[in-house]
Amino acid sequence: MKKRNNELTPLAKKSFWIRLREEKYLQVMALLGIVWMLVFNYIPMYGILIAFKKNFFVTTPLFSKKFFSTPWAADGGFQHFIAFFKDEEFVNVMVNTLGISILKLIFNFTLPIIFALLLNEVKNMRFKKVIQTITYMPHFLSWVVLGGILTTWLGDGGLFNELLIKFGIIDKSVSFLAYPEYFWGITVISDLWKELGWSAIIYLAAISGIDQEMYEAAKVDGASRWKQIWTITLPSIAPTITIMFILAVGGLLNTNFDQILVLNNPLNAPRSNVLDIYVYQTAMRGMRYSYASAIGLFKSVIAFILLFITNKITTKLNDTALF
Amino acid sequence: MASSKLNRITVGDIMIGILMLVICFVSLYPVWYTVIISFNDSSDALRGGIYWWPRKFSLESYKTVFQDTTIIRAFMVTVLRTVIGTVTSVFFTAMVGYALSKKYIMGNKFYTILGTITMFFGGGLIPYFITLKNLGLYNNFLVYIIPSLFNFYNMIIFRSFFNELPAGLEESARLDGANDSMIFIRIVIPLSAPVIATIALFNGVGHWNDYFTGVLYINDAELQPIQTYLFRIIASASASKTVVAMPAGVTAQQVSSQSVRLATMVVTTFPIMCVYPFLQKYFVKGMLIGSIKG
Amino acid sequence: MKKIKVVALGLAMAVAMTFVGCNKNKEVVSSGKVSADQPGWKANAENPVKFDWYINFSWFARHWGDSKVSKYITEKTGVDVNFIVPAGNEAEKLNAMIAGDALPDLITLGWWEGQIPMMIDAGLLYSLDELAEQYDPYFFKVTDPNKIGWYTQADGHIYGYPNSSYTAADYEKYKGKLTSNETFLVRKDMYEALGSPDMTTPEGFLGALRAAKEKFPTVNGQSLIPFGTNEFGDTGCSMLQGYLSHFLAIAPEKNGKFVNADLGLTEDPEYIRWMKMFRQAHEEGLFATDVFVDKRSQIEEKAAQGRYFCMLYQNWDMQAPQNALYAKDPNSIYIAVDGPKNSKGDDPVLAGGGIAGWTVTLISKNCKNPERAIQFLTYLISEEGQMDTNFGIEGETYTIENGIPKLTKEVADLDKNDKNKQETEIGVQYTYWMLMDTAWQAQWGAEYAPSLEQPQLWTRPYVHSYAAYDGLTLPVGSDEQIIYEDIQRRWGKVLPQLIRAESEAEFDKIVKEFNEYKKSKGIDKVIDAQTELMNINKKKLGM
Repeated sequence: MKKRNNELTPLAKKSFWIRLREEKYLQVMALLGIVWMLVFNYIPMYGILIAFKKNFFVTTPLFSKKFFSTPWAADGGFQHFIAFFKDEEFVNVMVNTLGISILKLIFNFTLPIIFALLLNEVKNMRFKKVIQTITYMPHFLSWVVLGGILTTWLGDGGLFNELLIKFGIIDKSVSFLAYPEYFWGITVISDLWKELGWSAIIYLAAISGIDQEMYEAAKVDGASRWKQIWTITLPSIAPTITIMFILAVGGLLNTNFDQILVLNNPLNAPRSNVLDIYVYQTAMRGMRYSYASAIGLFKSVIAFILLFITNKITTKLNDTALF
Repeated sequence: MASSKLNRITVGDIMIGILMLVICFVSLYPVWYTVIISFNDSSDALRGGIYWWPRKFSLESYKTVFQDTTIIRAFMVTVLRTVIGTVTSVFFTAMVGYALSKKYIMGNKFYTILGTITMFFGGGLIPYFITLKNLGLYNNFLVYIIPSLFNFYNMIIFRSFFNELPAGLEESARLDGANDSMIFIRIVIPLSAPVIATIALFNGVGHWNDYFTGVLYINDAELQPIQTYLFRIIASASASKTVVAMPAGVTAQQVSSQSVRLATMVVTTFPIMCVYPFLQKYFVKGMLIGSIKG
Repeated sequence: MKKIKVVALGLAMAVAMTFVGCNKNKEVVSSGKVSADQPGWKANAENPVKFDWYINFSWFARHWGDSKVSKYITEKTGVDVNFIVPAGNEAEKLNAMIAGDALPDLITLGWWEGQIPMMIDAGLLYSLDELAEQYDPYFFKVTDPNKIGWYTQADGHIYGYPNSSYTAADYEKYKGKLTSNETFLVRKDMYEALGSPDMTTPEGFLGALRAAKEKFPTVNGQSLIPFGTNEFGDTGCSMLQGYLSHFLAIAPEKNGKFVNADLGLTEDPEYIRWMKMFRQAHEEGLFATDVFVDKRSQIEEKAAQGRYFCMLYQNWDMQAPQNALYAKDPNSIYIAVDGPKNSKGDDPVLAGGGIAGWTVTLISKNCKNPERAIQFLTYLISEEGQMDTNFGIEGETYTIENGIPKLTKEVADLDKNDKNKQETEIGVQYTYWMLMDTAWQAQWGAEYAPSLEQPQLWTRPYVHSYAAYDGLTLPVGSDEQIIYEDIQRRWGKVLPQLIRAESEAEFDKIVKEFNEYKKSKGIDKVIDAQTELMNINKKKLGM
């Protein structure tokens, strides 16, 4: 039974000043981070007010009385939020965003873990290194260029069509990006391809920290390789997986903007218009900052709630949590 | 050294091996495609139909990318910011992560919540820009370093890693009279090779790939990193939102050909792709425990 | 090992500090005497000054100081320039600079950009006339009073001066020499093999598409795309809106009210007639799905492969594909022919440059040297500046023969064969286009590369000024602007629906619904607001 080095000790009972003195190094270390956050995160948060203003013009200095005294949005400041909820595209946009994100959570979160586990089983060191290096390369290609290549390959007569016809899977060329129903699949699979190796890195790091003695003991007991993975490896990296999962859930309303922007077109728009694209096309183009800010705030609130809920659940299940 | 075990290759091994080969091929092909097109004559590349090898080999695209000598300077800026930025950020973030891994310190939960909020709530680009400008970071090399010193997400990763370290180490050090900062520097860091390598990689790649900071916050050409410099070439074809038709005098050759864009991508990503093999030794099993026993 | 790391880090930080310290413009304050007969810059040519010049176009890749011409200008005028160029989304950078009070000395952006009125209102810009009166009255000699009149704001001041601007006088003077970018192109060899069919009527157009598909079903193993145009975005396809309406000679105003092609000309029978043709084409499989999906780089690729039979596209963007085709087979290039016409057979009314021009250049109040700034602008606008930026250095890049300046053969060839290199190394032919006077340039006649020539020249007889209809942008944040954008977005969805409608009945239904939508959203408010702006324009033009 390993004792974790962070459990509450009798220190908790002492007075504030004594604790401060004993923890002084730790407090300084922590406070440096806090101060940084106050400056670089909390000061700019003042801009959240933009969401509640009727209009925000970039020519109005933000941290000034002038800005503060500009008219507030109607409906108690919630005019833009209501406009967003009432917009005819609201439901569709949310469905697309959540649909794609949940699919990515199911596949693109779990598969890298499995990949890391399998990769760990590869016995030949050189082969292993080569695989790691190759699989992490796609992460570096930028979507701006990749999107163009993918569009050509998915097009009528493009590479994918040629292959599919050759293998007899389809008999006529299909322009995949023209159909809304294929979009989610295309975006999830291409994202998986790109990020598989990269996402696995953190799990590989976690696996490398596992006490080898446990494996030795298990082998002596005659456990098969798969049993070892199930009883030793997975539980050991469970905290890492949990934390990553919580963070992933928190990012549910984010979609890969660069990727979707470049694959989105009027034909697949019914299934490709996600929240970020919607904001880009409506609010950004017309410089409707208040509207964009309101949607951004909405996103933040939902994400925070999701994270909170997930955190509570994992605390119960796993005793691992973000806070 | 169980060398005898290595000789027994099971069915499972073979299946895994095949799977890995397939994954490698699929991962590699588009990268390969990018490289061969970049080495192909641009006009010819436009005609399509190239799959395995350049049809009309040409270094023109690379010449175009390198013809501007400021690229050397941009490269130096990138290397400098990546090295300094990564080292400082890893150290700073790890430090905070270590402090917060001690659940018993005062205000721990408060700090954590404060930080979690920052992961979701932000004022947007404009307030952030104004803040940085007021801090004197506009058009200043430090804009690459200071605003990326701390990353809450990475801190969480450090924190959970530190949580897993056996308590025995620190206790014995404390008995020897070491204070928390000494424990952190002399003991915890050396033992954290895998997580440090991971975060250093994330950070380093983040710094290397970042074009946005250079675009928005830097005006001097001498302070631009290579990514900003080259992003223009890559993105120029997508920037086709000319509302009013450009008069005939302005040439459309500003839009780079596909080959040049791909050559640019190769040049900007190749160096960082090569870093990984050097970090791989930190992801080897048993790294951590070995040092403890020793 | 650790010590070395510490030392290395320290060293690196030291180096970094030099970057930090290394700073910007140390300008010398100038104090030359000015008069209305001499350009102000001459008095200050000995004093160096450097300007940060923001160019709101992410594709602009030139650095000042690389090319011969830029070095020459710096030597002559003492002015050095640092171009600041965004990447990707231009608006982000510009808006951030405005919000953060970080505007550079000079700013060049499209005249239609919404930030301009905002900056004027917020007092962030110097007014050019006041600066000129104080520091360089010669400004009024080199600028065109019509252009000044056009850009004078309600407060009586002018804040930006345009380039590529054509006044009514220019249209008279250079009649028959001006060209437009709007072209209808067909593949030369295919078109001629089909017997050069008449594509000016919907029936003829369809017939030609059918014949092309039958006779040339594939191009190099890939399917033929009978018709191509530019990207379909979330607000429609600009060439199936503005361009098409110009070809059909649809008047930009009706009953005194402005007609906005970008909101869908679904009330116009001529437009509907041709849209129905496209619908029919789609039904017969002649309107490829790729056309809706392709972005700019795919379109260029396919054009370079010659896969389109005909295109409604802007000629100047065909440069790369045309060059690729020409290199392989000069007969496979695209040529301009008569395109869609209205039921009366009227000639197309293509848009040439307007008086608004293309971009305007502003001086921000952050400029520490407005005196030198206005003098520099005067220089660039003046004939001397035009000669320098268009022809370069006398004796080196051009010579004067019989009073006519001509580029040296070397430079001219380089410009034709490798424009990129020419612009980087030499810098003539308006490499620095910010204040170019293309109307002035037109007097020397233009030479085009063979792959671009025919379509460009084809447009000459049809070029017309739409100047009164420029600049009808609604104020940012206004109700009308929001309505405008909502309608635009809806149109972006409706346009593909119209083309892909499965029957004429469905087509009609969609049109009816869309018209009702426009009315219910309040398109009348938008049109009224734009008509008001249009009338202001007309007054400025003395119409």
